[in-house]
Amino acid sequence: MEGQKLQGMVVRRVEKELYEVFIGPQHPGSGHMRIIVRLDGDVIVEADPDIGYVHRTMEKLSEVREWLKPIPLLERMTIIDACNITVPYVNALEKLMDKSPPPRASYLRVLLCEINRVASHLYGFGIFGVFLGHSTMYMWAFGDREVFVELAEILTGARLTHSYPIPGGVRRDMPQDFPEMARRAVRYMRGRLEEYRRIFVDNPVIVKRLEGVGVISRNKAAELGIVGPNVRASGIRYDVRLAEPYEVYDELDFEIPVFEEGDALARTWVRVEEIKQSLSIIEQAVDWLERHKGEPIIPKEDYDKLPKLHREVYEKTGRVKLLPAHATMKIPAGKAIARGEMGRGEIIYYVESDGGTTPYRVRVVTPSARNAIVFKYIVPGHRLMDLPAIYGSIDYFPPEADR
Amino acid sequence: MPARVSLKSLKRRGGLFEGIKSNIQALAVGVKYFIDPQRSTLLYPKEYIEHRPGYRGFIVFIKDKCISCAACARICPSAAMKMVRVTEVDPKHPDKPRQKQYPVINYQRCIFCGYCVDICPTEALYHTPFQDVVYESLADMFLTLEAFQLEPGRPSVSEGSPVVYEVDEERGLIKRRR
Ligand code: SF4
Ligand code: SF4
Repeated sequence: MEGQKLQGMVVRRVEKELYEVFIGPQHPGSGHMRIIVRLDGDVIVEADPDIGYVHRTMEKLSEVREWLKPIPLLERMTIIDACNITVPYVNALEKLMDKSPPPRASYLRVLLCEINRVASHLYGFGIFGVFLGHSTMYMWAFGDREVFVELAEILTGARLTHSYPIPGGVRRDMPQDFPEMARRAVRYMRGRLEEYRRIFVDNPVIVKRLEGVGVISRNKAAELGIVGPNVRASGIRYDVRLAEPYEVYDELDFEIPVFEEGDALARTWVRVEEIKQSLSIIEQAVDWLERHKGEPIIPKEDYDKLPKLHREVYEKTGRVKLLPAHATMKIPAGKAIARGEMGRGEIIYYVESDGGTTPYRVRVVTPSARNAIVFKYIVPGHRLMDLPAIYGSIDYFPPEADR
Repeated sequence: MPARVSLKSLKRRGGLFEGIKSNIQALAVGVKYFIDPQRSTLLYPKEYIEHRPGYRGFIVFIKDKCISCAACARICPSAAMKMVRVTEVDPKHPDKPRQKQYPVINYQRCIFCGYCVDICPTEALYHTPFQDVVYESLADMFLTLEAFQLEPGRPSVSEGSPVVYEVDEERGLIKRRR
């Protein structure tokens, strides 16, 4: 047994009847991390999430970059949810600058945020499917995610790294034919969700793997401080869009689905229901944007400062040009906290300025960083084959957690 | 109208009949797509995507428009854009060479954020709508001032045919030949 190698893992004997299995760190699931589990037979007696393999010092790197530059950087924490992760940072800057985006810019941000949320949940489903050996779900979810990635590309010019919001507004207006395209995508996805239900979520094989697995009770969820769909599957009504609406979320008509069971199946259903709500928000946002054509996407005082050529480009292509002053922009000294709801849960930024051209401090708390603790406290007691089901159902994403 | 909470609960599964029904439903969906699969795979390099004009692809520099303000190099978040000093003929005084600064790009570092294109006060930089460019060595990715002024060669154009992707209500993303 000593040093025996199984595919992807090394097993060594630690004490009588107890095996230690190292899962990872080479990309066991959605990114580089290691889970050290100790097994009695195939029952997990202890699980240790060993995180930090993709720590990229995002906070420190932000401190040495001028104010606009952390936007493309911070995106890289969760590249599949790029707008959701940058909007709160931009909101924090706006609080410091005492600037607010015009409504059209806010709607465009929300539109991209919801497109990202759908794409992020579909990505989660894909990974979840492959964890459970359901490769159809993997192919379908990734294929359908492409629809939303395409929408985001048409809106921003980049598939994933949109760098879309800037303090005071957004970088581009939506193309003329975008609303129709978005509506088609929404209708398509609605039909697809029904098929997802049949082949995956209601499939007896999947239900058997998920029902009653990884139950997080309401109290436990509150105690562990987990966030996002995971906490809403345990009956806690917490969503930043509900608790502290940012952007234009308080003008939109949507529901926050909450389930009470707290098991892996409930967490899956929360995501399915959230996709439905996001699709409805996308529709509402494009309707609003169509009704309010020609409204500015940057504050008026900023628009007035633009030279003639910049205005021409904006009128013709909808692209907001930056001013050279943006490169050396100074932000008044102060501290700001902003938060938002990403696909995986709540993200919090604390931004401190000393009045210079770079942030004095940027603190980021990402949802996955808060959800990692589930491995330690929820996994023990389950069988080893339940681990992928729990991992997939909490939609843990190491690059986001490690920052 | 702010968001509302909607409390839902999982459907309790029925007995044997329900199980058989769900199994058949799952299989039926599988069979449907077995007969009529939904494919959108790009057969690269036989086909290549033609992106829309707003796409943030490789960047081309128009030297005549540049006023050497260095804003593009200052805004670049990954330090991919650098200014180089060149000696060139001054069109006004052909006998007196002048020193000028122009940007060059290092594609090893560029992340295609498009900040440089957006900040250039004279629109001296623009995005080409493609990304599929290859370089033979890392050193080639550090463009010279001359190379930066040319649209990069795109081998897929000579080898394949262009396609566009469209969003379809029935079949999701569909590929259309141009
Ligand atoms: S696109 Fe972004 S990373 Fe690339 S050169 Fe321009 S500013 Fe730098
Ligand atoms: S920003 Fe434009 S004008 Fe200024 S140096 Fe760069 S390319 Fe030249």
